[in-house]
Amino acid sequence: MTHLMETDVVVVGGGVTGVAVLRDLALRGVHAVLVERFDLGTGTSGRWHGLLHSGARYAVRDQESARECIEENTTLRRIAPHTIEDIGGLFVLLPGDDEAYAGQFVEGCKASGIPTEELSQAAAHRREPLLAPDLKLAFAVPDGGIDSWSLLRSMAADAEARGCRVLVRHPIVGMERDGDRITAVRVHDAVAGEDRTIGCQWVVNAAGAWAGDVGRMAGVPITMIAGKGVMVVMASRYVHGVVNACRKPADGDIIVPQHEVAILGTTSVQVDSPDDISVPPADVDRMIDMCAQMVPAIGSGRVLRAFAGSRPLYKPEAPAGGGSGGLKGSPPEGRDGEAGGDTREVSRTFTVLDHASRDGLDNMFSIVGGKLTTCRQMAEAVVDRLAERMGVTEPCRTATEVLPGADHGTHQQAAPLARVERDQAYGELLCECELVTRGQVRDAVASGLTELEDLRRKLRVGYGPCQAAFCAWRAAGILAEADGKDPEGSGEPRGDAPVDRDRDPLVGLERFLEERWRGQRSTIWGDQARQALLNHAIYRGIFDLRGTGVPDEAAAALEGPA
Amino acid sequence: MRADVVVVGAGPAGLASAARLAETGRQVLLLARGNGFTHWGAGAVDVLGRVGGETVDRPLAAIDRLPEGHPYHLVGREAVRDGLDWFSRFAATAGLTHAGDPDRNRAQVTAFGTLRPTCLLPEPAAGPGTGSGGFLGGRVAVVNFAGFRDFSPVLCAASLRKAGIDAGAASAPLPAWDHDRYFTGVELARAIDDAGFRRRLAPGLARAAAGAEVAVVPAVLGLNRGHEPWADLQTLVGTPLVEAATVPPSIPGLRLFAAYRARLEALGVRWQFGFPAVGVERDGDRVTAVRSEGASRVQATRCQELVLATGGVAGNGIEANRDGTLTERVAGLPVQGFDGRLAYLGDRFLAEHPLAAAGVRVDAELRPVDAAGEPLATNVHCVGGLLAGHDPTAEGSREGVALATAARVAALLAATTVR
Repeated sequence: MTHLMETDVVVVGGGVTGVAVLRDLALRGVHAVLVERFDLGTGTSGRWHGLLHSGARYAVRDQESARECIEENTTLRRIAPHTIEDIGGLFVLLPGDDEAYAGQFVEGCKASGIPTEELSQAAAHRREPLLAPDLKLAFAVPDGGIDSWSLLRSMAADAEARGCRVLVRHPIVGMERDGDRITAVRVHDAVAGEDRTIGCQWVVNAAGAWAGDVGRMAGVPITMIAGKGVMVVMASRYVHGVVNACRKPADGDIIVPQHEVAILGTTSVQVDSPDDISVPPADVDRMIDMCAQMVPAIGSGRVLRAFAGSRPLYKPEAPAGGGSGGLKGSPPEGRDGEAGGDTREVSRTFTVLDHASRDGLDNMFSIVGGKLTTCRQMAEAVVDRLAERMGVTEPCRTATEVLPGADHGTHQQAAPLARVERDQAYGELLCECELVTRGQVRDAVASGLTELEDLRRKLRVGYGPCQAAFCAWRAAGILAEADGKDPEGSGEPRGDAPVDRDRDPLVGLERFLEERWRGQRSTIWGDQARQALLNHAIYRGIFDLRGTGVPDEAAAALEGPA
Repeated sequence: MRADVVVVGAGPAGLASAARLAETGRQVLLLARGNGFTHWGAGAVDVLGRVGGETVDRPLAAIDRLPEGHPYHLVGREAVRDGLDWFSRFAATAGLTHAGDPDRNRAQVTAFGTLRPTCLLPEPAAGPGTGSGGFLGGRVAVVNFAGFRDFSPVLCAASLRKAGIDAGAASAPLPAWDHDRYFTGVELARAIDDAGFRRRLAPGLARAAAGAEVAVVPAVLGLNRGHEPWADLQTLVGTPLVEAATVPPSIPGLRLFAAYRARLEALGVRWQFGFPAVGVERDGDRVTAVRSEGASRVQATRCQELVLATGGVAGNGIEANRDGTLTERVAGLPVQGFDGRLAYLGDRFLAEHPLAAAGVRVDAELRPVDAAGEPLATNVHCVGGLLAGHDPTAEGSREGVALATAARVAALLAATTVR
């Protein structure tokens, strides 16, 4: 049987963990191919609040996770500063909060190696003027913001520069086994519409919340708990740095400023499937009301969107027969969890599963649990085990090798404005909300991006308060021009190329608008209701688009994080 | 302060109501929070473009197919005709002649290359031919002015070709001007007002349109001189020019707004712009004064009649609350709410949205009514987008409802004694 390609290792899953595994392998000189069903970062890695954990959030209850976080927080600042907003964080104690918890918090941080600084009410207000006037005190911690798409792009680019491959829009559909070994991974090329196989020596399952599905294809049981978290996007930042409630983690206790917006988080509810990313309006209301206790202005603020992500929580099997649990990470305590239950009691640490000793499947590992902040460490743990089995002696270098792009230092909030001012590009703005220029879009299209969705993840087109009212169709025009039909400025009537239905720019635009809509449904009232009806009056009223290019099933299945 | 009539809102309904009431000799004060749908729309007069999702050819006839309670049913077909006739006369007098027939819809070309159904079109958008859709016959050059970001000739031409129109895309260079690096449609339109600029622009536009029978361009051909810059440029280029509707602000809408403003000033209408009405004072079943924000305080204007033209949710006449209830913002009139905010909108953006049709229920004299259908105030009349029972965007009825209800209000108040 001939394969599409042969490789040493197939990595399944294009979230931060999978891409970190790919980079780790690349740095050790191992050839690997990553397969992802949609685009990079479309699962949990793109559906989260963007917090670079200091670990303080886990300092009281889960100190192993806390220690992992502070270690990786420090490492990521070194290897990927360009993906990080170095904004710091506060834990605020409000009237009614348990002061004893504050004591445990400080002790826990100390024990976990997380530096804290106690701030008086006045000092906290100097730092964050919009904090509740009656807060009692606050603790400063080294939280930060991190842009996971930027991190993904840098890690993937580094891995590809070292000879590894990334195949997006290649969902895995099966595995070929020969006795105790997997010989090939079967994928579906969603663009070409064909199934293909990739011959391999090893498989790393880094599918996160979907790791159980991949396990099933390989014939090994992996029980994941889908822990849904709802997040709300506010139209402005409100705070300079991250703000957490200094209490036992609960709904609506964190505000993460990110680029031009703030993200409120989060719920933690067990659901039946990681694909359940529905957003009940009551959850949105609770996020806002809870976060408004810390920053009252949020209570009457403008809400852009809400979205949900699925935490990749791992539930170890009860020890039975020779099967052992994980190789790293203590067994989580607390409830088993059933649909609807709170999943906060499940540890946020990670676990490497060697399916040889666990299930008698010789050449597959899974890496489960964990968090974005610890993705590099997770990759190191699983690749260390894999390398040992492969006989690769090259040590892990991901903690010291700096990522491409890192030479610009940490991301500064006003960087887009500074760039526009430097280039005098006011007239070239395509997206006023996010300060994206036509030049940036043209460059991105020239580099091979073909979809508005891709432009959004790379450039933030469509993220701002108007939710794509003006930028989407300007960008669609540039995409249409890039299809090689009529370069602007030719001065000649041209454009006789037949319209390819799949590349019809209006269909792509309609899909994009429907995807943006999905995340707005539960947050539309007040000003946003006006904005939504204005956008409708533009696209349906003026431009007479009726969405006929997007079939219902396609609209329902639209991929992509908020 | 006092006035015979206070009109609140400066969208298509408020502007037409104020003008028509002033024409009957009433002393009118127009209060407005800001601009309305002249600026945000397609720059056309939509009367009825679609019913039940199906495209309408004969808008006045299709009124029969609208559901009960629609504003057109309340005012009657003759008020629609009266509103359109009045508008056509007013616009032509102001140098903004419109083409079209109230009994027959026609197509308006958009920057997306779609052909939207509408009724009356300003001449620059109407095209050389007559009838519906046939105005883009033969070879069509879709031409942008180089560097103008709100128009993509490639996108437009590709869609027109899908509709069977022989369209190609091109770009015309702009002569050197003050805004060679940064410009909006408004600035470009203002530049095109200048005859010298047009002379320098024409040769490049003519080259881009060479061989075509019609050139489709973005709707930016002049701002303050009516349709004269369009007509002049068309003559210089030697090819019929058709303005395509693009994103707000609508330049044709700005031309119309300026014409309204001039007309209202000529009629002696007082005008407070940027000062929203925030409440009313009542005496029994009458409103006696309108409270509005002033420079330093809330002021009350005593009035005989109040006309609310504040718009629906989109126009800011109604606030959609987090819990699914709706609040009318000036007089606190009742508005039917929803079973939670998820019911406001459809699951698909480009579908229809129940919230767009939310509004104030009125009687045949356009007076707000309670749940039992009894008038809540005898001297308050609602017009335009504020009215319940119509979806201006999905139906394509915004300007038609505005003009028809303005006509009705003018007729009603003309019949009452002038104080």
